[in-house]
Amino acid sequence: MTISGRFVLLLALGVVPVVAAGVLASAASGAPFPADAAAAGAQAAWLALLAWAALSIGLGAIDLSLAASPRRIALQRELPARVRLGEPADSQLIVQNLGPRLLRAVVRDGWQPSAGVTGANRTRLRIPAGERRRVALVLVPRRRGDRRVEQVTVRSAGPLGLWSRQATLAAPGVLRVLPPFASRVHLPSRLTRLRELDGRTPLLIRGQGTEFDSIREYVRGDDVRSIDWRATARRTDPDAPGGTRLMVRTWRPERDRRIVIVTDTSRTAAARIADEPRLDTAFEASLLLSALASHAGDRIDWLAWDRRVRGRVHGANGAELLARLVDAMATIDPELIEADWSAVPAHVRRLTSRRALVVILTGVDSPANAAGLLAMLPQLTARHLVIVASVADPEAVAASTRTNDLDEVYHAAAAERGLLDGARVEAAIRRLGAETVSAPPHELPPALADRYLALKAAGRL
Amino acid sequence: MSRREAPPAEQDAAGPAQATSLTPTLRGGLRRARTWIAIAAVAILGAAALILLQGAPGGGGPALGADNPGPAGAKAVVEVLRAQGVDVREVSAFDDAEDAARAGATVVVADSAGFLDPDRLAELSHAAERLVVVEPGFASLSALVDGVRLAGAASGAIEGADCRLPAAERAGTLSDGQRLLRVDDEAQAEGWQGCFPDGEFGVAVAEGPSEGGRVAIVAAATAFANDTVDEAGNAALALGLLGQTAELAWYVPGIEDVDASTAPTLGELTPGWVTPTILLAIVLVVVAAVWRGRRFGPLVAEDLVVDVPVAETREGRARLYERSAVRTHALDQLRIGALGRLTGVLKLPRSADAREIALAAALATGRDPYATERLLVGEEPADDRRLVELAAGIHELEAEVRRTLRPDADLTQTTERPGRPS
Repeated sequence: MTISGRFVLLLALGVVPVVAAGVLASAASGAPFPADAAAAGAQAAWLALLAWAALSIGLGAIDLSLAASPRRIALQRELPARVRLGEPADSQLIVQNLGPRLLRAVVRDGWQPSAGVTGANRTRLRIPAGERRRVALVLVPRRRGDRRVEQVTVRSAGPLGLWSRQATLAAPGVLRVLPPFASRVHLPSRLTRLRELDGRTPLLIRGQGTEFDSIREYVRGDDVRSIDWRATARRTDPDAPGGTRLMVRTWRPERDRRIVIVTDTSRTAAARIADEPRLDTAFEASLLLSALASHAGDRIDWLAWDRRVRGRVHGANGAELLARLVDAMATIDPELIEADWSAVPAHVRRLTSRRALVVILTGVDSPANAAGLLAMLPQLTARHLVIVASVADPEAVAASTRTNDLDEVYHAAAAERGLLDGARVEAAIRRLGAETVSAPPHELPPALADRYLALKAAGRL
Repeated sequence: MSRREAPPAEQDAAGPAQATSLTPTLRGGLRRARTWIAIAAVAILGAAALILLQGAPGGGGPALGADNPGPAGAKAVVEVLRAQGVDVREVSAFDDAEDAARAGATVVVADSAGFLDPDRLAELSHAAERLVVVEPGFASLSALVDGVRLAGAASGAIEGADCRLPAAERAGTLSDGQRLLRVDDEAQAEGWQGCFPDGEFGVAVAEGPSEGGRVAIVAAATAFANDTVDEAGNAALALGLLGQTAELAWYVPGIEDVDASTAPTLGELTPGWVTPTILLAIVLVVVAAVWRGRRFGPLVAEDLVVDVPVAETREGRARLYERSAVRTHALDQLRIGALGRLTGVLKLPRSADAREIALAAALATGRDPYATERLLVGEEPADDRRLVELAAGIHELEAEVRRTLRPDADLTQTTERPGRPS
């Protein structure tokens, strides 16, 4: 049961009869002394107060007994299965009144706060017996993952709106919020670069790469170094008998290479850099690289790992790959445990037996934290090409250059220490034969994509 | 099979399922809370039974009431007096007290609340042959006798009556908690005497003549109250003062003794509806609190992600440096960083040692090589000021080397104007 503002107002109006009764009674008593008149007034005022309270409570009780039951309701949800982070989703709730009375209700849909209900989440409904109404809410989720709703609270008021009955009904629902893939704005420019590599660009730029593609006729602008004289000798010119046409070889980048992306979900991934957790940056970078590499015809495997496999996408291609990736990523949150790097080579071997590009997305802050990674790397670099990508902190670089007062100098020293530690770890990683990519959060995905393109252009995959 | 083929209309006819309610119904709630309800009921019944058996705690009645068994009452004294054959009458009206006084009874006035008008007290003293005034107020005292004034509280128990009042002499001592009176020379000349002096500060009991007989003033109720009457000579004083005549009128003035002819108080002038309106306002506040405070359904739980701001490590390390004032160590970090970057800018081999880098930097900028080496390698900062100077110096040197060797790059970097042709 609950009371409404109307009931408070009704009770407040009681001041009128109380004062009126007091004043009238003391005037009517005609007592010679003011004290006696006041006593007469007081008696009348107390009576009026009691009467008004009884009236209000009586009205409230009648109102409550006339309210429709908030339990005799059927609920049905209509939700989109998934939505990208930052985009609005329509949540529809169909409320059907199963009772015999008119339901005057206020409905609250019990979404988690991070589901981001816009507006007040208090919907007024008037549902005649047996009919149904739709409650539409716009959700703008604020976090990745499964946003849940378990309950709907219905407050059913009586005809006077004084007292209401309230009940919470079970109505479970799930909305999966996918990573935003904000770095997809970088994709078109990288795809253009890829096409240039591929020799399929409309520009007359010779395709780079190491894999033989085809032999075609020379056109002006082709690199004369790629003229294949043997083919030219075999090809006679149909227009000028006895003459020959110049033939050139074209090349294209290797296709069907394997790429394994290992995303670290341990405590290093929980670090928030420039208002983005490392894990989210890693997801962005994974998505951009996967989108690019799947266009280039390479095969992507993805693994989220700390001490166990948190997520795994294997053997998917094209649009299905991205859909499965974002679905797997959606529910993964960092955990405060140390990553077990020693098991990673075995998992990579399970994903592919061929030489592959292994991209490890983690954080390289300090030699102490990176000991496990450094110990494991030689096993990977012996078989595969390895890139260790990590998010750099732009604020550390800024802090290391501020030296105006003592506090700032100590901060600069601490920042410099952190940068030096990171640099030492990166140097160690490079000595072990792996490549490193380090960039601020918003630049890491394109930087990783660029490194991939560079490796592809150099034919090192 | 049949479900799949069932047309939608049939499903509708079966009716949608009623949603499961998570809120217990009134009956369900009562059933779930029945243990607590039973415990509460037992506790209430037990308390009620205890009160019925032992009587209400504290006891009712006014302070020094003749039938008040509480700590502040005077039932003990009254009962002892009755046992000794004194006819104790409880009097609550002034007229009755005056009648008793004229009939020759000793009159006790215990008016700690100050209900009795001072003039009426004086009237009573005219009528009574023996009057005992307990704990008089300032106005009562001055109406009763000139020259006896209130003089604060006693410092402790009082030894020795030091006067010719028989009751006081028999008592000998009084317990702690007495109040004091001061009897001045004028009053002494009229025949007033003070008993139980507390040093120079005053006396606990004053006794002297009135127009009708004699008046004894006991400044504190301690000697008569139930919880202190058995201490020291309290009981002796009380019984001695009150037990001298066969009849005793025990007068505790109440609200009806307030003189109606005096000016009306603020409370009397207030209109009668004010108190009910205040109560209504209080009820309104409570009801409004319930209105606003009633939660719209249970709270929704949200599992939060682990999130560590990466700057925390840096902050912590900076504080650690600062607290332990490791100036040289802190400066070394800046130096190592700067040397590393200078190696790249000056295009020196990685194996170059710090002195070589310092020399190269000095040559590039035209600075004093010795000072540059001190800045980059040699000098240990003696105090905080020097540390800040050295840190700023290293930063400046690095910027200057960059400016000298790559003027264009530095220009675009500092002015941040993209697209400027070099």
